[in-house]
Amino acid sequence: MDDPLLAVRDLTVRFRTRAGTVTAVDRVGFDLAEGETLAILGETGSGKSVTAQALMGLVPRPAGEVTGGRIVYAGTDLLTRPRSERRRLNGTDLAMVFQDPLSSLNPVFRVGAQIGELFRRRRGASRAEARRQAIELMDRVGIPAASRRVDDYPHQFSGGMRQRVMIAMAIALQPRVLIADEPTTALDVTVQAQVMALLAELKAEHRMAMILISHDLGVVAGVADRVMLMYAGRVVETGGLREVYETTGHPYTRGLMASIPALDGPRERLTPIKGSPPDLTRLSVSCPFQPRCDFATDVCGTERPELAPVPGRPGSHRAACHHAKEVAADVVPH
Amino acid sequence: MSSPTDPLLSVRDLRTSFPIRSSVLRRKAGAVQAVSGVSFDLPAGRTLGLVGESGSGKTTLARTVIGLEPPESGQVVFDGQDLLTLPPAELRQARRQIQMIFQDPYASLNPRLTVEQIISEAWLISPGVVPRDRWAAEVKDLLARVGLNPDHADRYPHQFSGGQRQRVGIARALALRPRLVICDEAVSALDVSVQAQVLNLLVDLQQELGLSFLFIAHDLSVVRHISDEVAVMYLGKVVETGTTAQIFAAPVHPYTQALLSAVPVPRPWAAPPRQQILLKGDIPSPVSPPSGCRFRTRCWKAQDRCATEEPALAVRLGEHSSACHFPELPVAAAGAR
Ligand SMILES: Nc1ncnc2c1ncn2[C@@H]1O[C@H](COP(=O)(O)OP(=O)(O)O)[C@@H](O)[C@H]1O
Ligand SMILES: Nc1ncnc2c1ncn2[C@@H]1O[C@H](COP(=O)(O)OP(=O)(O)O)[C@@H](O)[C@H]1O
Ligand code: SF4
Ligand SMILES: [Mg+2]
Ligand SMILES: [Mg+2]
Repeated sequence: MDDPLLAVRDLTVRFRTRAGTVTAVDRVGFDLAEGETLAILGETGSGKSVTAQALMGLVPRPAGEVTGGRIVYAGTDLLTRPRSERRRLNGTDLAMVFQDPLSSLNPVFRVGAQIGELFRRRRGASRAEARRQAIELMDRVGIPAASRRVDDYPHQFSGGMRQRVMIAMAIALQPRVLIADEPTTALDVTVQAQVMALLAELKAEHRMAMILISHDLGVVAGVADRVMLMYAGRVVETGGLREVYETTGHPYTRGLMASIPALDGPRERLTPIKGSPPDLTRLSVSCPFQPRCDFATDVCGTERPELAPVPGRPGSHRAACHHAKEVAADVVPH
Repeated sequence: MSSPTDPLLSVRDLRTSFPIRSSVLRRKAGAVQAVSGVSFDLPAGRTLGLVGESGSGKTTLARTVIGLEPPESGQVVFDGQDLLTLPPAELRQARRQIQMIFQDPYASLNPRLTVEQIISEAWLISPGVVPRDRWAAEVKDLLARVGLNPDHADRYPHQFSGGQRQRVGIARALALRPRLVICDEAVSALDVSVQAQVLNLLVDLQQELGLSFLFIAHDLSVVRHISDEVAVMYLGKVVETGTTAQIFAAPVHPYTQALLSAVPVPRPWAAPPRQQILLKGDIPSPVSPPSGCRFRTRCWKAQDRCATEEPALAVRLGEHSSACHFPELPVAAAGAR
């Protein structure tokens, strides 16, 4: 098998907070092949954004620190490379789209200039050439009347259009991996559908690999090849999209599925996950999901379950649960 | 007085506007009609879901109903009384029975007050609902009812998780024993596992207390789950309304169809076939809404008539009301039946 474009192993990120040290990302690992889309799913605080920050070299310091692991991109472990070198990869190799475009666009510069700046700084383009390319790109991401809007400021765009601007900036230098962190969470469903369709198109056009981060199991279902679920900083389940959604191997994934009201079929009482997410400063040796889990037995309280193939399932489908076999054998309640 | 078959809340041709001031001179330069002639009925003990993109006027409508925004015209009839013409004393009595739960429980709870103080504040403002010597006991009852530990009454909002804070918000809304609770995106900010807990709680409370809900949310799956009836808003107007089954299984307005087709479902392969409708652009500014049908600038079915003639909300196709000159069942749904 070819080496994956991106191979992450045992990635660990810690934050020092007043309440104690938090392991926000705990030995996370995954592979990403060229042209592939991996969805990272999980609820608030599960470590999705910090994983993305670590990939981009953007973990806020000094509070946060990557304390271990490897991020092997095209054969090189990025964590061993100097900052200057990593910065050069941003945009051309790895690029990111954030949830809130307003916080990542500079409010005092015209949108076209901010996009054009990338071509000027990174590709040595002239001012006129950069402007032309900015317009072309704005047009490509579906911003109407791009040649007029190129001189507008970020606040003059709607939320959906701002997100398109952010996508334009992220793909400007044709990165090989696009990381989109909740790119549609702040948008209305109709606009969300437009943006997701755009991302899928761009991905196919440029054979980009994509890491799509979301808390919404539905949003990623149309585009992801594989999914990875995180809980308390750890990967609790991973595998092909249908594999994981149909024969769920982890009680957390199963609980999420059962919590989502259906858009069709009979309306039944929801079966939520009991309790609330754990306090990351107080994790013990147990399975982090144990206090909320209906499958838990004694071993769950004493031994941390490692990510392992779900018995009876294809090898690519893995879960970190002592009782994955029982969970997968049970039909997911819908 | 009202008979049992009368709706608890009846809104008629309600209009609410905000002045627009020119940024240079701070002079009034026009108005945005955020709610533009909305009518609906909400029967006692039932839930009306209100959906539509942001900016469609849902919050303004809710705020007008509870009296936080003065309407330009129209009627808000609660339990047979028009709140807009009611004398102050009666108005206070009526308003007490309508409470609201907000999206962001943290922003709506005073961080310096304990949960007990937050809940009993309502009884200070509306004396006579719960006698003073019953306050502590009533707080404990309310906390237990919303699934919180009654012994946590002396805790502050920051000591609770997001989902627990929303439960505090619900307990506070229930303190005045309302008959109507308006939930404005009340579960939208919650993670799905916690959202499901709160939805179950709302359903239980409705059954136990006979509450009516005006349930505003942009998540259509959530609205389908909790609502008996649904009204779809676009740019200040209701474009389609009917029972939940009618709206979700047989929507005839193109906007409703587009909205439904855009809802992401976790297992698309197991869902009934549907046609994806990608709308062009964003919702236009309500400052200068399109002439005729307000949806026409994004509608794939628009004809000349749509620009000149406003389609009224009326029963046109099937048994529920819609406001489109060319109502039709969706292709996929029509084929599936
Ligand atoms: N800047 C920071 N300072 C301290 N702790 C942080 C910071 N950013 C993230 N964390 C911690 O990391 C955890 C995971 O955060 P994050 O990756 O943002 O979650 P998600 O994106 O899945 O919602 C949080 O629960 C928080 O404890
Ligand atoms: N206080 C206000 N002043 C001026 N305009 C407002 C105010 N509140 C809401 N609006 C405008 O009214 C319209 C409807 O807003 P809102 O009722 O909040 O919609 P929704 O809740 O459906 O998102 C929007 O265009 C909004 O900008
Ligand atoms: S390991 Fe145990 S506690 Fe953890 S998810 Fe599996 S069954 Fe539940
Ligand atoms: Mg995040
Ligand atoms: Mg609102």
